[in-house]
Amino acid sequence: MKSNTLMVKFLGWMIKWLKATCRDTTPLISEMMDHTLPLGKRLRVKFHLAICDVCGFYKKQLETVRALARKLGGEEAPTQQEAVLSEEAKSKIKDSLKQAS
Amino acid sequence: MPETVNSDLWVDRYGDMMYRFTLVRVKNPDSAEEIVQVTLLAALQAKGSFQGRSTEKSWLFGILKHKILDHFRELKTQRTFELTPEDGSDPLENAYLPEGHWINLPKNWDTDPHKAAENRQLVEVLAKCMDKLSDKFRNIFVLKEIEGLASDEICKEMDIKPTNLWVILHRARHQLRKCLEMNHWDTKR
Repeated sequence: MKSNTLMVKFLGWMIKWLKATCRDTTPLISEMMDHTLPLGKRLRVKFHLAICDVCGFYKKQLETVRALARKLGGEEAPTQQEAVLSEEAKSKIKDSLKQAS
Repeated sequence: MPETVNSDLWVDRYGDMMYRFTLVRVKNPDSAEEIVQVTLLAALQAKGSFQGRSTEKSWLFGILKHKILDHFRELKTQRTFELTPEDGSDPLENAYLPEGHWINLPKNWDTDPHKAAENRQLVEVLAKCMDKLSDKFRNIFVLKEIEGLASDEICKEMDIKPTNLWVILHRARHQLRKCLEMNHWDTKR
């Protein structure tokens, strides 16, 4: 009897502890992308994501932002093809190379 | 056959490519131009050490990456990278209802992140969205997501407390995903 009450209390405490809101979870979703969270926080995020699709979308969005940024940073990024050194800048750099060699 | 370097052709062969690579990271065209020049001058001096183990291009880009990091270190001496009250209030502060649920629900983009990255138009939208970030947030986002530096390295190099780094990165990512949603997904429907 007594152990049952204790069990219920413990479960209630567990549920309260696990029941994080979107506001609590979103910063952790971002932080998880940068380092390993302590086990407790990790469990709270997992639990929340299991019951909240919208935060799942948020997580996927942040992962998409990361994937796009990596692409943008590549040596042959598919962007800003119009961004080129001006002829003036090119001759300036060529001159400085000539002088230095 | 080992590759040799030909500094006369550097500007014409790699100049624009290096410039674009730099511009994505530093935003300011004058700084980008200067970094390309400094890189090529440094390469010229180190020409003798080029072993032909890599291609000329990847050798130059290796030097370029170092010079870009030097640029960030230089920026730090002029202005702090640490989170300050001037960075304004948290854009996420008003994103939730009092009980902690989203007000404007993030949408289902319904795409695999890596497939999305093959979409050139989308990458271009991200570039534009990045330019709307404050300089500090943009720089830190670049160091983390484009340069791929480890968090503790960024904290050490840029003198930021880890907890503030998480805050800055989260705000930057949140602003970017919002901007992408407005300028790409919302316009599609």
